[in-house]
This record gives sequence, structure tokens and C-alpha cells, in this order.
Amino acid sequence: MDSDEEDYVFFGTPIEREEEITNRRKKAAAESSGNLRSVVPWKQEVRDEEGRRRFHGAFTGGFSAGYYNTVGSKEGWAPQSFTSSRKNRAEVKQQSIFSFLDDDEKAELEGQHLGTSSQFDTFGFTAAEYARKQADKEQKQRLVIPSVMMGMEVCWLRPSAIPGPVPDELVVPAAESIGVKLLLKMGWRHGRTIKDSHASSLYDARREARKAFLAFASDITKASHPADYEPVEDEPESLVEQPTVDDAKSSQSLPVFVLNPKEDLHGLGYDPFKHAPEFRGKAAPGFGIGALEEFDAEDEDVYTAGKYFTLVNMHLRVIKVYWSLWKAKLIASETIKMKSVTFYGGVKKSYFVFPKYMILPSFCVCALGYDFEETYVEEDEEPSRLSIVNKQKVVVKDQGVLPGFKLASVSDYQLERFDPPIIPKDFVPHHKFPGPLETLKKLDIPSPPEVPPPDDNNLKLLIEGVATLVARCGKLFEDLSRKKNQSNPLFSFLSGGNGHDYYARKLWEEHQKRGVQGKLPMDEKLTPSMQKMTAESRGKLLGEKPLERSSKETTSSSIASGEFAHLQSNLTDTFTKPASFSELPEVAKPFKDDPAKQARFERFLKEKYEGGLRSTGSSSASNMSEGARARERLDFEAAAEAIEKAKSGKGGVIPTKPFDFLATGMQFTSGGLEQVKDAHVEDLLTKKMYPRREEFQWRPMPILCKRFDLIDPYMGKPPPAPRMRSKMDSLLFMPDSIKGAKLEEDITNRDLPVAETDAQKTIEDAAEKNIEVEVEVENVERPVDLYKAIFSDDSDDDVEDSKTNKVGDPEKKIEVATTTLNRLIAGDFLESLGKELGLEVPPDMPYSTNKASSRTETRNGDAENAKIRPDDGRISYASNVASGTSEILGQENAQEGESPKNESIPGSSGRYSSKNNDDLSENVFDKRYVEKEKSAQKDRKPKSPSKHSRNWSSSSSSEDERSRKHSRRQRYRSSDSYSDSSTDHRDRSRSRSKVLVPSLPFGNPELSCDRALLFKMKSSMIGQGCSLINDMPPGSWLLPFRISSTVEVFKLRLQA
Amino acid sequence: MTVSELPRKEANVLKGHEGAVLAARFNSDGNYCLSCGKDRTIRLWNPHRGIHIKTYKSHGREVRDVHVTPDNSKLCSCGGDRQIFYWDVSTGRVIRKFRGHDGEVNAVKFNEYASVVVSAGYDRSLRAWDCRSHSTEPIQIIDSFMDTVMSVRLTKTEIIGGSVDGTVRTFDIRIGREISDDLGQPVNCISMSNDSNCILASCLDSTLRLLDRSTGELLQEYKGHTCKSFKMDCCLTNDDAYVTGGSEDGSIFFWDLVDASVVSKFRAHSSVVTSVSYHPKDNCMITSSVDGTVRVWKT
Repeated sequence: MDSDEEDYVFFGTPIEREEEITNRRKKAAAESSGNLRSVVPWKQEVRDEEGRRRFHGAFTGGFSAGYYNTVGSKEGWAPQSFTSSRKNRAEVKQQSIFSFLDDDEKAELEGQHLGTSSQFDTFGFTAAEYARKQADKEQKQRLVIPSVMMGMEVCWLRPSAIPGPVPDELVVPAAESIGVKLLLKMGWRHGRTIKDSHASSLYDARREARKAFLAFASDITKASHPADYEPVEDEPESLVEQPTVDDAKSSQSLPVFVLNPKEDLHGLGYDPFKHAPEFRGKAAPGFGIGALEEFDAEDEDVYTAGKYFTLVNMHLRVIKVYWSLWKAKLIASETIKMKSVTFYGGVKKSYFVFPKYMILPSFCVCALGYDFEETYVEEDEEPSRLSIVNKQKVVVKDQGVLPGFKLASVSDYQLERFDPPIIPKDFVPHHKFPGPLETLKKLDIPSPPEVPPPDDNNLKLLIEGVATLVARCGKLFEDLSRKKNQSNPLFSFLSGGNGHDYYARKLWEEHQKRGVQGKLPMDEKLTPSMQKMTAESRGKLLGEKPLERSSKETTSSSIASGEFAHLQSNLTDTFTKPASFSELPEVAKPFKDDPAKQARFERFLKEKYEGGLRSTGSSSASNMSEGARARERLDFEAAAEAIEKAKSGKGGVIPTKPFDFLATGMQFTSGGLEQVKDAHVEDLLTKKMYPRREEFQWRPMPILCKRFDLIDPYMGKPPPAPRMRSKMDSLLFMPDSIKGAKLEEDITNRDLPVAETDAQKTIEDAAEKNIEVEVEVENVERPVDLYKAIFSDDSDDDVEDSKTNKVGDPEKKIEVATTTLNRLIAGDFLESLGKELGLEVPPDMPYSTNKASSRTETRNGDAENAKIRPDDGRISYASNVASGTSEILGQENAQEGESPKNESIPGSSGRYSSKNNDDLSENVFDKRYVEKEKSAQKDRKPKSPSKHSRNWSSSSSSEDERSRKHSRRQRYRSSDSYSDSSTDHRDRSRSRSKVLVPSLPFGNPELSCDRALLFKMKSSMIGQGCSLINDMPPGSWLLPFRISSTVEVFKLRLQA
Repeated sequence: MTVSELPRKEANVLKGHEGAVLAARFNSDGNYCLSCGKDRTIRLWNPHRGIHIKTYKSHGREVRDVHVTPDNSKLCSCGGDRQIFYWDVSTGRVIRKFRGHDGEVNAVKFNEYASVVVSAGYDRSLRAWDCRSHSTEPIQIIDSFMDTVMSVRLTKTEIIGGSVDGTVRTFDIRIGREISDDLGQPVNCISMSNDSNCILASCLDSTLRLLDRSTGELLQEYKGHTCKSFKMDCCLTNDDAYVTGGSEDGSIFFWDLVDASVVSKFRAHSSVVTSVSYHPKDNCMITSSVDGTVRVWKT
């Protein structure tokens, strides 16, 4: 795509460009004239009109004769002397090229004339001309006109006396040309147009359509239409028409609109008789001929059409044209409407009044809402038709088929009919609602514990009665009555108050009873059971306040107490109560470190195993978000499953750690998390988790849209910012952005050494203050070294150099200092963040060996880089936090859309990011990513571990290349914004920080839940091609809180 | 189509490839088929008469996928040499080579107008190449995948890729959205139902999964075969009644689309069935295998 020329294929030799030729000519002309003026004749070079040197002599058999480039005589051109006298007036002489040519040149020219050879001279023009010329010649010989050659007609003088050339001139050559012969053989006669009367069907159809359209458009009579249409001589029937055909024949070669030009100003669909239908003339009232009715006899087919035309496939095309025209409102809809009105108006004789081909096919008719049958009307009620008409009908009947075709006896075109759907045999044509009656009836609901009835006998009776009713009428009833009697203390048992347990028990008993005894009668005769519904129960259902007395009566009468007792004893034998979870072993308390959660879990278990009513408003958990609750529920579910397993002796240690099922599903292993290997749980989770759908923005290239023949959804929007591999990059870009901040600092107070020393001080301070931080600090350098070892060609990024000789480049040092400082702060920040998130910060660093090895060369470092290293335990939150924040920021950015501010940011960042750093960190990321991927997918891809290593190197090198491109682009962008003043930039970064800080996820309860979620975020982040984050400068997602703090710290330091 | 009409009778064996055949594809009208394999060739066959028509040689490594334009005039192929070859079918010459993938290229497809070739590569990217211009640079790089992209499908408006990272990503050009359906298992091959409402994804946990494209819902899972380490195809029959796919033990499975039961299973090849392709109209199917043969199955 670099040059346009590459996109084309060239055939043949290129034509020289015009300018070149003309240039050369001009040059030649100038040269020759210059030559003429300055150079002595014998030194002049002879050149042709193209400016090429001519070789005289040896090559052409002669030599340059001195005046070659001039006229040819020593004198050159001698002007003709003008003489005019009274007797001899000077003639106006017309000069032609021939005036200046020699004889031989004339002959030459003459030979070049193109003429038709006599064999093909159809109309004898050439012969005539030839004869004329001959005459001229003779004349010239006779009347000697020396200077002016009379070759042109203008001066042509007819020889008056001698008739020599005349016969030649007048006699048309007898030989007819081949074309004429052929035409004659094909049936053509002199005087007729050559136009083929049997045009191709397509052409014909189109022309007809056009004509009919014209007919609609104006009132022009369509006198000559059929003349074009009908084969003139082939059908003997049409010979009747011969007398009238005469004038038609003259117009045969003329298009209709020339013959009958539209002279009025009537518009499309104009109907002169619109308000005066009585003047419509002979047309029968049923015929809504409208604009067409004035058409002459040759329009016969309009009328016969209804009778004779059948739907031939070829006509369909025309009809479709009409149809589409109508649909596209090209044919005035009112035109058609008008006709449809008349169409309906005609009681039984109704025609569709469209031009010849406009018999609407069934589908059109259907679409229009017309009855299909009606278009084919039985009788033509036109009495004034002549006998010619009848004959023509025959013709027309044949013409229904285009000439040369026969009407197909079996038409390919068939109405597509769809059979009605086959009704399954077992289909019952009425819908049965799955009522609450059926839904509750599950015999396997574990029974609630036996509870002694409440002391209050009234309450007991009430409870029993309600339980019975609920069991009979379903859960709906319970809900209803609960809502109804919310304020009534008597009914508090419904919502977990006094006597609730008893109620639950009773309800269960009723269910059991109904399940056992009511199964058979209920299914068979639903209506009798419905009839059982008493007035009270119905009233209750309808929300009436039940009378105390009647409800009591209902309950007492509904159950025979003896039978009930019997049943109860039976049931208690058959159903075993589950072990109460209150006596769960200690090991089965998976959430013991979180008592609240454990309590919730126990309640969950209770609900799960004891069945009955769920306490709907689990008030204790109401402060949790919906998502958190769902997640917790998932955890509980799995934990309960595990406990069950352990109980059944199947094995499997109940994990004491909280279940992190999201994490296990993710297949991201990390140090802090223990993967649950329970296949069943995993399966359950997979089912719940997958497939999981996410949506991102994606920007197709304009050319891709073009090639797919689609409209670019991002058309007109600014081009996307250069894309990074992932948001992880931004984490690693940290130092650059800090450098940016630092530079600002430099600009504001030009005191470099102070800043430097301050920076050093800060490092030392920090190191003394916090050992842990120091550990982090000292570990940081290692990855950088590693990367340097890999990508050592990045010469100017020699961090080590800048460290070893401190008195080197001050800027570099400052950069290092600020970076270090910032890393310290970052470390602090991460730590505090970890605490805030409720995560344990492991006090010991698992890579103390690294520390030892790298101690010698490292002075300051990057806390983050160390943390993100894939094999240590802390990766989890370092990177997670990063990803989490970045994701959220990305979302926020997405919301912000393409505000100009966002657009300006990349430019400003490009200014501060050095190319090498880009490369480095991007490579860092990629490599790490690949590593991680490898570990993550070890179990996924059994066959490909060897490939992975290859991928590593290849992709990293490609990454290198890509990032280089990337940085180039960034530099390019930076040049745009270079003019920005530094203060301006700072302002912007400040304002950005203001915007972004509130969106950080610290206050988010979602985020504080657990690592699993963070893992999820991370994973989604890696996968997510969120390009919007890239609108921000690298590292800027961390910038907001960092940069401000850095700057502040610095300011404080400087003040001190 | 009833079970008895499933193509289970071997009609022809197309022999000619030396070494494993990695893919076999019908052309758009089903009259011809193309196969490609480890012997670095692409072969054009008439599967109904069992005739080998032409061999296309130019690849430097194994050829993993091949696709032909609807008008049968051009081919595209890809493979281990990291390039996409754009062939002229009749002359057998390579018109263009598209370089740019950083790894092996797993799958390649033409779009509807044969103006764009989209390729899926080991470098975790989908790339679109322009056939109309002379440029050999990709006109679009989609690199949101986290792992090897195994398979690609195109509709009139979408590019759909299946990847080892377990996602099936649909890139809708019309609205500029990427929809990612995470299946949780590496996706080996994706294919579309003929009504293009569903995606059938073959996962490396020996399961075919049927997804509703509009909602991303998992409609059905088809199990029974073995698919753990090979790039293997799966597809639906041309009336969308059955799902078919090969197995690593050389057998071919037919599942009922709705109830996911194995309606037919028979041993077709002596080794891994790498590819299955169903005739667009007839009850005919071709399968290719590591055993070096392409077999044509009819009822």
C-alpha cells in the first residue's frame, strides 16, 4: 500500500506522456531556431519534427543540401504580390494544404486517403466520390488551374461542355455491397428501416415497459406502439392493417417520442377526465381505462389482455418491473389506486387497467389485497370492436408468447404453497397452566423437624387450617394471605413469627398427605376438587378477610383428626430426618474464618436440606450486592456438595480454605490459591460459567468494510489510537510517565542537582524506613537486566551505565531517581491496596535468592516489575490490581468516548516515552505473558509445549517489531503535540487525575471480595482487546494517583 | 433425512496424497473437492467419479487448509510456511502470496465476494488480506485472541474465529463489535449451521458444543468421540438435522442435533479423521485422514 502504482496491473507498453513529447518538440524547435540564428549553416544539425537528429547521406542515399530545413530555395518564401484592378479583381483565394505541396507529395497524400473499397460500398458514396475525383482530374487537366487544386467540393466546377466525366459521376455503381446483399437475403427491402422487428424478448419487454410507462406519464396517444411491437410482414393476419401501416412504416425508424412529442404540460398520472368521467367516451363504466382509453385500435391488447394473457414467465419480468416501479413510487400510486377503485366499482366486470403487460400476477394481486380470480374476467364486454379486432385477437393470442416462442403447456412458474404444519397426534388444543398446585407437590422434600404445637389453641387451629389450604391451593395462596395479613399478628407465623415452625411442619404434612392420597383423584377429576373449594377459601383467594369462625370450621371439618394422626405416624416412619447441621464437625465449617459468612452458609444448608419455606428477605445479607450474593451462593452450593461427598465416604478432603470457584474455573493457578480438583464441582461450575459472553468494541478497517460491501460503522470518526498488546503494558510504562512528571518538575524549577540529591535522599530514606520496601526495590532491577540481556541492542537504554557513573547525564540520573521514588511509592501503594482489599501481604519475599544475585548491581528498582514476575506468589494482587484498575479505567474511558481530551493524551505521552522503553517493556510483557500462558495451558494442550517455546521467541521478536512501529507512530503523534507547552501538559495531567481517581475501584465492594474476582478481571483483561485504554498514555492509568503523589512528595522534599 | 439416509457407504477412495491429509473441502456446489496435506500439495478431485484432476504444488511446508471461491476460479491455502497462497485454479499458478503471520496458519477462508481472504494463525491473530489490490499487507489484523486461532468462518457481515483460548469471537463489521463467547475449553474447529443461527464448536475436551449465535447460549453438547490433540473438523449435515465429526480413532460420528444422541458411528479410517466436509445439497460426505486417504461417503 506504499505506492499507488503497485496496486495496478499494467498491460502493454505505456503510452509516452504527452508533455514529454511536446517538450521534446519544443526543445527541437527552439534549438533549430537557435541554430539557425547562431550557428553557421554547415554546422547546423538537421533534426526532424520530433527533435531527433536526422542522418543524411549514407542512410538515405543523399546528403543534406544546405537548405534542407528551409523552403528549398535560396530565397525562401516569396510573398505573392497582391494585384487587383478594376477589371481584374483580386480573388479571395482559399488556400489549402494542397497549395503548398509538391506533386509527388500530393500523390503521396492521396494514397493515404481511406475509402471504402467498392466491394463494400453499400451506398455508393465512395464510387460517387471516385467518379467526382476523376472528373476533377480531367477538368484540371483541361482547364488548367495551376495553383489551386480543385479537389474540394467548395470550388467544384461542373464541367459544362464536355460530358466526359458525367456518366461516371452520375451512374451509381451497379454492384451492391455485401451488406445490402445480406440484408436483402434476410428479407430486407429497399426503403425500409433495417431495424429488426423481432427484437430480443428482453429488449422488447423493456421497451414495452418503457412505453407503457410513458403512456402513464402523459396523454400521448399510443398510436404507433403496436407497430413496433408487431411483426410487420411475417404474420399474414396483420396484412389487413397494411394501409394503416404505411405511415407507421415511415415512422418505423423513428422513436415514438419523436413522432408524438409531448407538447402539453401534464404531469405523471394526469387524467383529463378525472372530474368529468362522463366524457370518457365509449369506454364502459366498468372499465376504468383512464389514461389508456384514448388509445387507438392498436391498443386492442389492453382489452384482450384480461382475456387472453396468461402468465408467461417472460412477462413476469415486465410485471416485476411495474411492480417495483409502483413500489418505488415511480408510477404514481394514485394512478393505480384510481384503477383499483374502478376495479372494485365494476360489479363483476372489472379489468385491471394497466398497460399491456401489467396484468398483475398473483403475488402482486395478493399483496395489493385484490382477489386473484377477478383479474381473469369471463367476458369482454366491448361491443364496438371491429372485425379487425377479432383477427387481431388471434394475433395477440399468439403474441402472448413472444415471437419464436411457444406457449409452454406446463409453466415452470408455480405458486409456492406451504402445507399447514402437521399437528402432533398428542396435541391437545387447550393450554394447561402449570398451576401452583402441581409445582409444590414434591414428595421428596425433606421433612421439617417435628415441632410441638403452639400453646394457643386458636393459633394452632388457624395454622392447621392455613396449612391445609395452602397445601390444597398452592404456594400462591400462602403468599397472598401473607401479604393480606401482614399487619395481623395472628398471621405472623406465615412470615417466620410465632408458630412458624409448626406451620412449616403442618404444611409439609399436608403436602405429604395430598401427595399420597390426593394423587389419584386429583389427576382424574380436577373439577370435583375445584368444587371442594368453599366460599371461605374462595374468598380468601380473592383477598377477602376471612371470618374467624368460618375458617376455624373449615380446618376442623377438613381433616378427620384420627386419620391425620395415623398418617403422621406412617410418614414419620418412612421419612428420615437429615442430620442437623448444627452438629457439623469442625472440619465441615468451610467459612470458619468469616463467622458471618459461616452463619449464612449454615442457614443456606438448612434451607437447602430442610426444605419448607425460604426466608425470603435474608436480612443479614441484604447489604450485599446482588452479584456478591449470587457468587456466595455458588460457593455455598459447592461447599455443601463437598461436605455431602465427604460424608458419604467417597473421599475428598473438605477444603478449609474458602472456595474460590471462579478461580478454579479460570484455570489460572497462583501461589495463594489452591485448585479444587473435585471434578464434579468443576463440572458444575463449568456448566454455570460457560459459555460466557462478553462484548467489546472492535474497529474494522475501512477497506475491510469496503471489501465486505458494508458501511464502515466508524466512518467519519477519528482513527483509533495505536493499539497496545494489552493493558499490562501500561503497568510497565510507569517509569516513562514518571519521567514525564519529572521533566515538568525540571522545567518549573531549573534546579537539577537539588532535585537529584533529593531523589537520592528519598531513596535512602525509604530504604531505611522500610525493609520490605527495600527488598522490593532491590529486586526490581533484575527483570530489567534480563530484558537488557535479551535485547541488548538498545544502546541508549543502558540503565546500568547511568547507575554506575552517577555524575553522568543529569537527566538520566534524575530519571532513575524519580523512577525509584515512584517505585517506592508504588510499592507502598500496592501494599496498602492489598491491605485494603483484605489480602494478606506475604511478609517474606520468595525471591530472596534473586535479591542476593542482583544485589551487587541494583540500587534502585521497580517494585512492580518484581511483583509481576509470574512465578512468585505476589503476582496475584500486583497484577490483579493493575488489571482491575485498568479495566475499570478502560470502561470509564469507553464511557467518555472520543472526547478531545482523550485524543490529545496519546500525543503528550508519546513525547515522554522513549522508543526503547517502549520496546523493552512491551517485550517484557509479551514474554511474561507467554510464560504465564504456558503454565496456564499446560493441561490444555498436551501436544504443544514444544511449540510454546518457539512461539515465545518468534512472538517476542515480532512484538519487538510491532512495538517499534508502534513507537514510531507515537513519535509521529508526538510531533503533533510538541508545541504544547509543558504547563499545559501538566494541567491536563492534573485534570485527568481528577477525572480518573474517583473511578478507582477501592470503594467497590465487588473488588474487595476475593482474588478470584481479580483473577477473573485479569483474565478478561488479557483477552480483552480494549483499545480505549490505549487512548491514554502508557502508564497513565496509574498516573492519576501516582503523579500527584510524586509531585507532592517532590515538592515537599524540595521545600525541606 | 432419516438415519438410514446418512452417508455411510463408502463410494470412493481418493488416494494420492503422500502422508497425512489435513483437510478436505467440497467446493461451493459440491461437484469437486479439494484436499491438502502434509505432502505440501493441494489436490483437486472429482469425488463422485473418484478422479484426481490437478495438483497444486508450491507450498514449502504442510498445507493445513484450503478454500475455493464460489465461482471456482481461485483458491487460497495456508499452512506451515506462514503464508497464504492465492492460486488460480485453472492454471495452477500462485497469483499472490500473503506474508505476515508470525506462525503457522491454521485456517483460511474467502469472503462472500472472494475479495478478502481471512486467515487464522498460530500467532493468535486473524488477518484479512485483500485480493483486489496488489498489496500483500493485511488490511485488518485482529489480535484480541489469547492463543492460537484454530478456525475461522465468515458470514456476509461477520468474521468468526475459534481459538485455543477457549473463545469463539464474532467480529461484526457492521456494528464494529466483538462478541466473545468463552467456552472454557480450547476450541479446535468451528462451523456454522446452514441457517447460520448456530455455531458448532469442537472443543479439545472431546466435546462438540452447539451455541446459539444470538444469545451465546449453549444449546447442546455432543460427546462420545475422541478429540484431544488433533486439529479436527466438525460440521452439520446440509439439512442441519445431524452433527457429524471425526474421532481420533478413525471413526465418524453422527449425532442427532436435538437430543445429542449418537445415531451412527462407524470406523472410516485407520487413523485420525482430520476433516469432514458435507455436500451442500446431496447426502454425501468426504472425510480425510492421517492415513493419507480421502474417502467419499454416500447413502
